[in-house]
Amino acid sequence: MFPAKIDDYVRPKTVAEALEAIARYGDDEAMFVAGGQSLMQAVKSRMVRPSCLVDLQSIAELRGIDLGQGLTIGAMTRYVEIAECETLPRAYAALNDAAQHVGDRQVRNRGTIGGSICWNFVASCMPAVVLGLNGTVVLASSKGSTREVVAEDFILGPFETAREKDEILLSISWPAPPAHCGSAYKKWGLVADAVPVIGVCVSVTLAAGDTCESARVALSGLADGAQLAPAGAVALVGTDGSDKAIAEAMAAVADSVETHSDHWADGEYRRQLIRGIGTEAAHCAFQRAR
Amino acid sequence: MKTITVTINGSAYEETVPERMLLVDFIRDTAGLTGTHVGCTYEGVCGACTIHLDGEAVKSCMMLAVQADGHAVTTVEGLSTGDLTPLQRAFNEHHGLQCGYCTPGILMNMTEFLEKNPNPTDAEIRRGLIGNLCRCTGYARIVKAVREAAKIGN
Repeated sequence: MFPAKIDDYVRPKTVAEALEAIARYGDDEAMFVAGGQSLMQAVKSRMVRPSCLVDLQSIAELRGIDLGQGLTIGAMTRYVEIAECETLPRAYAALNDAAQHVGDRQVRNRGTIGGSICWNFVASCMPAVVLGLNGTVVLASSKGSTREVVAEDFILGPFETAREKDEILLSISWPAPPAHCGSAYKKWGLVADAVPVIGVCVSVTLAAGDTCESARVALSGLADGAQLAPAGAVALVGTDGSDKAIAEAMAAVADSVETHSDHWADGEYRRQLIRGIGTEAAHCAFQRAR
Repeated sequence: MKTITVTINGSAYEETVPERMLLVDFIRDTAGLTGTHVGCTYEGVCGACTIHLDGEAVKSCMMLAVQADGHAVTTVEGLSTGDLTPLQRAFNEHHGLQCGYCTPGILMNMTEFLEKNPNPTDAEIRRGLIGNLCRCTGYARIVKAVREAAKIGN
């Protein structure tokens, strides 16, 4: 576990400088490094062999949580900052849930939300939460353009996103939430705060009388990576979040996805985890929405 | 090769290093501070190489030395300048270690943990320790040492 030769390392101070650096090296040669808590594993195991690392640590404009208009989280905002942010709207509290239980203290002190969703590891929390909360990512290109992409068009398969090599993720943003909106993320792993064997993100918006008028359910831990579970959303809408309604919705989610077997859990156990963890997450989301 | 300046325990180390050199190797081999340990052959799972980067606990095998250019690092050697810190004393008095290999990383992590959580519960201490593996103690004495250090104020 030691990196292959790296020819160059640069630490730009602005997004423009970072894009210029990545363009100079061309495809596959240079890579951005955010917090490095995933990338350094891959560099050390030589899964990737970048010739140049463009370190984003000094770009102030990529950092921070802005609650001015809705919610905007800079790509280089670390887990620890999201975990400790006490002012997130309850609609987006799943971000707190996930950030508080990623890895360990040392990882949370360096790992970033932007790094996590751009790496899009097959079993990680943030891609599922950004999907479940319907975030919009903002990308800037070395060609000078900026584009917005909704989460489900950005989070593709494992290790795959819609980000082009010459694009940098600036932020993830959400609109100001409606009044009665709540979300939650729960996961289960082999040890505390481990990568999820299954994780479930639930987001609900309630209308008058606490009836669910819209919902999103996203899963982590499946072989295809983070994904939405539309069956859960359909089953939750129109209900009042009763025990029975939530149990039925999570059973529908478990039946709607393909669960794989591996050395951590077999497929049937993963379905049981979706029902169990999903029920906890949904109850919590409804409670926060009320 | 890059010329970098990293401040370790208050002293500036200006060295020319290969880009691929890990920070933990810079600390151990270049600066000669071998209190920071390598437990898991650099996989980032054992926490023995935990240091403070600008005051925050991070794993020094998960960074390149060039990434620490211009930053301040504290290693276990820099925790105390004379007397042991209350946390170090508590590890001594409450037998918070056996072989001691994981101890530097745990001290660095728990020092920052106690700064942020001066009155932790046992459950919070145990969660705080997730990133540090100890294969001797079973953690009970480590948790006790952290708890006692919190009582007297680390």
